[in-house]
Amino acid sequence: MIPHTRLSVENAGVVLASAVLITLGCANLIPTFAAQASLGPGASGQVAASSSSHDRWLHVRVTNPNSSEESVRVNVPLELAEKILPTINQHRLHSGKVSFDEADCHGVDIRALLDAVRTSKDGEFVTVQNKDSDVRVAKRNGYLLVHVFEKNHPKKSQVEVKVPMKVVDALFSAGKDELDLVAGLRALSIQGDTELVSVKDEENSVRVWVDSKNGSD
Amino acid sequence: MLLAKLALGFCGTMVLAGTYTFHEGILRVDEDHGDGRHVHVWVPAAIVPMALHVVPRHRLERATAKARPWLPMFRALAKEVEKYPEADLVEVRDGNERVHIRTHSGKLLIDVIEPDANIHVVCPLVMMQDVSEQLAKSASGV
Repeated sequence: MIPHTRLSVENAGVVLASAVLITLGCANLIPTFAAQASLGPGASGQVAASSSSHDRWLHVRVTNPNSSEESVRVNVPLELAEKILPTINQHRLHSGKVSFDEADCHGVDIRALLDAVRTSKDGEFVTVQNKDSDVRVAKRNGYLLVHVFEKNHPKKSQVEVKVPMKVVDALFSAGKDELDLVAGLRALSIQGDTELVSVKDEENSVRVWVDSKNGSD
Repeated sequence: MLLAKLALGFCGTMVLAGTYTFHEGILRVDEDHGDGRHVHVWVPAAIVPMALHVVPRHRLERATAKARPWLPMFRALAKEVEKYPEADLVEVRDGNERVHIRTHSGKLLIDVIEPDANIHVVCPLVMMQDVSEQLAKSASGV
């Protein structure tokens, strides 16, 4: 009787241990396989709103008004960009800063220009009009606004740039002839939802903006 | 009775080994070409960093030496992208061609669809981080 009881207890122990192992195994494996199966190779990306509302995302959209089959959509978390940029040291980009020289500015003293902008009152202060294009630079409600409208360009392009002055200041906070991109991103991340760049011509439409959504518009 | 016990013990060991092997998910590469060729590679993600240990050292060092300028970026990317388990990162469409890079359920998914080939890669983010650390260690020893 006693050996029989011992055997039963041993068997029960072995079965119980196996059941625990199998349960643990399944608990670990099922979500993995379920996730793999639910994806399907060409499944479209369902973006869940799992990220925190404090996350800030930089979005870029390039679309062709004449064709719905051509588009570029890029969504980058600002924090991710902040962490990655300093690790890239290629060409003019180093430690999160990009260097430029006078040739890039066509002889314009950018810092002097920005100082003038910063100290001026809100409103339009630079307008260049010629037969090819109109360029307007203005400061309004703490934003630097640049509007370029090319009249005779074959594609009739229209460029609008709207950057918070705090971001501009952060960008130029690095040494001379350098733009501090990481500081700019950091300043951008504490701003509200902002449309930064809008370019429209007959072929393409480009939008760059920042908001707290982690996916498509 | 003894056989049953052995079988149970074997099964238990297999489940345990399987659980460990698959606990990081699966690295999947699926290629479907227009000419009928199909390549499907499914590898437990936990094995990939281990496999780096058995790659001949000189080969790994040669590869990491070439990739060295980009290793800090890869390492930072692997670490940071884990914070975004559900995100549409890049999508490019041009007629019949489409490239889509996104994260889903803690995996990086890359889909490339072309008229003559479809390529789908599913890579667990944990594995990317493990691999980036292995490569960084290897590069520091170059």
